[in-house]
Amino acid sequence: MTELLQNLIDGLGRGSIYALLALGVAVIFGVMHLLNFAHGELITVSGYVAFWTISEGWSWYLVTPIIIGTAIVTSLVIERVAFSRVRGSSDFTLLLTSFGVHFVVSAIFLLYVSASVKTFSRPRWVTNTYSIGSLHIEVFDTVVIGVTLVTLLATSWLVQRTMFGLALRAAAADFDTARLMGVRSDTVIRGAFALSGLLAGIAGVFWLMRAGNTVPSAGIAPMLKGVLAALIGGLGSLRGAVLGGFVLGLAEVLLRSRLPDSVASLTEGFVFLLIALLFIFRPQGLIRVAHAERV
Amino acid sequence: MKLKFLLALLAVFSLVAAACGNDDDGGGDTAPAPEPTEAPTPEPTETPTAAPTEAPSTGDGGAQLFIDAVLSADLDNCGTPPSGDPIRVGMAMDFSDVVGFVDIPGSKLVPFIAEKVNCVGGLNGFPVEVRVAEVGDDAVLATQELLDWGAHFLIGPPFADFALPILQTTEGQVPLFVAASTEPTLADASINSFLVTFDDYGMSGAAAQWAWDQGITRAIVFTEGEGIPYTGINPDAFMAKFEELGGEVVSVQTYVWAADTDFSAQVNEIAGISQNNEVVFSAALGFQVTALRGQLEGQGLDGLTYIGTDALDATGIQFEDNNEGIAHTPHTSISPGDRIDTMLADYEAAKGEALDSRGFMALYVDSMFLGFQGILDCGCTNPADIGAAVAQIEGFQGLTGEITYAGTNGIPPKAVPINQIVDGVDTLVATIG
Repeated sequence: MTELLQNLIDGLGRGSIYALLALGVAVIFGVMHLLNFAHGELITVSGYVAFWTISEGWSWYLVTPIIIGTAIVTSLVIERVAFSRVRGSSDFTLLLTSFGVHFVVSAIFLLYVSASVKTFSRPRWVTNTYSIGSLHIEVFDTVVIGVTLVTLLATSWLVQRTMFGLALRAAAADFDTARLMGVRSDTVIRGAFALSGLLAGIAGVFWLMRAGNTVPSAGIAPMLKGVLAALIGGLGSLRGAVLGGFVLGLAEVLLRSRLPDSVASLTEGFVFLLIALLFIFRPQGLIRVAHAERV
Repeated sequence: MKLKFLLALLAVFSLVAAACGNDDDGGGDTAPAPEPTEAPTPEPTETPTAAPTEAPSTGDGGAQLFIDAVLSADLDNCGTPPSGDPIRVGMAMDFSDVVGFVDIPGSKLVPFIAEKVNCVGGLNGFPVEVRVAEVGDDAVLATQELLDWGAHFLIGPPFADFALPILQTTEGQVPLFVAASTEPTLADASINSFLVTFDDYGMSGAAAQWAWDQGITRAIVFTEGEGIPYTGINPDAFMAKFEELGGEVVSVQTYVWAADTDFSAQVNEIAGISQNNEVVFSAALGFQVTALRGQLEGQGLDGLTYIGTDALDATGIQFEDNNEGIAHTPHTSISPGDRIDTMLADYEAAKGEALDSRGFMALYVDSMFLGFQGILDCGCTNPADIGAAVAQIEGFQGLTGEITYAGTNGIPPKAVPINQIVDGVDTLVATIG
């Protein structure tokens, strides 16, 4: 029972990061019908910024806002340089563009920085634990879960209670009608990319704190987790993305812990098997989305 | 044939004689003294000269490379440039972020050292050329490009995914040195494929021996799965050796190599069985080992000993936080001012760029030198004959230690250095084998 509780906490900690990543994917999908495979590049770029700044002796307290800012700016630059030029194109074109962005960003770091893993210091508290009864809880998990909850509440407020949120929701429901009603497409799309960057930045801080390294392809893993979680939750649903993130995190930790040793190395495979089964019986994901119109 | 004839006539010494400018250590750290031949080796000279000597090539293994002399060549003060048909060194390299961490710097260093060889007169008076072909998504195409160019031998990338297509393309007709690999499956002398360093079994067996020598009798092992190249075979080899010595493997945990940095689930299990006195072995990368260690220490397990493979050299465990006491098995233990350190410093001074993956770089240079030694030994330039000569090399004193292929299947039985972070410094603490 203790180990199960421990696993649940670990899974929620891991799932929190996935939830933030998935939410960023879902926000973009909502307004552009774009499954953004370049989302992980926000963490690649942030990772190198973390490497350079921490290598210069900057503390994580300074680096954290820089990482978040970097993710936001990178997201806006990617929108401006790549996606704004294919706005209105087919879903397939958008998808290929996002793949292209992923490869270009990766290649830039490979060619002009290094193919080698660049490591940097993690904050010392990342592996600290505290005990509640027989449970040993990582401070990191506690912080991640707490920050994620606050971020989700703030995002919910932004989406539900502000004019920007209203425009975002209107655009997600029916972009053409929203434009006829006065919603400015540039504003809402750039706002969506900025929000997506903000969420990726917060997730990136925790991802990089745990990883302590970056490589040109560092964005692949977070991108896959984010996209998978968004798919599990129901593409286009913000609540679904969050739910999908937690489900994915819990599934990974519980499977890793519960599978027999002889097949424990196949944990990732079992996770994908479960996802495949989910899509067989519920292809729309955990939460069905009524509207997700493309710009 | 003409080149072969010339090689037979022009003995070894453009490189040898020219290269002996630094005669304090000119031969001491290099190849063993050649067998006496009818043609005496000329006295080392103070000034490098590029001209081939009239001494005949022995063609019987008597010729030798003077590595120190090559390394000490001054590129601003070269002798007469070598001439004739070049010796062609093909490098089929992967520049992706899978193996690029070694292949990219390796493919920069080898041409630089080839410049130095040419600076001291080339190989037997013949110039050395290096061509790099990026494997990319098509190792066959890259290899074919090098074969069409006329490569006399190849230097290839680590990992079977990249190296096996190269071997399939050469069909054993051209020697291949898999410079930075420890995968035993890539070595096969019968098809002219050679490792330049110890294999996974030698490396991880040495790690087990070292742990046992420290009085540790219990082990926790991280693996990607039994039999999986590198990430599984190294743990397999460690466990086999550790149990053979009388140790007990108390826990086998799985993880994803080069990716996992959250070991919460594994740490929970280990916390339930550990006596806080085990050795933790894996083939994981440095940032993974330090992450794992942090989480284990967070659970109060601060009495564990950590040892890893050459993977800890890939990211440089010496640059990590929380690395004190972590041991690993590098290919060579570099000390400030030694010849590998000097070689890398020379490159940096000449090219204005420090190379990554320092611990692997000498393997690439040794690969080229081994190819040269094969050419010198056989007095030939036919790639298949060069391969046959390489397979008979004994006691070659390379930058990374003594290399012998004779009587092996292409895996040199090299000693394994054990390095440990002691007071923040990566220190050689033992040599096994």
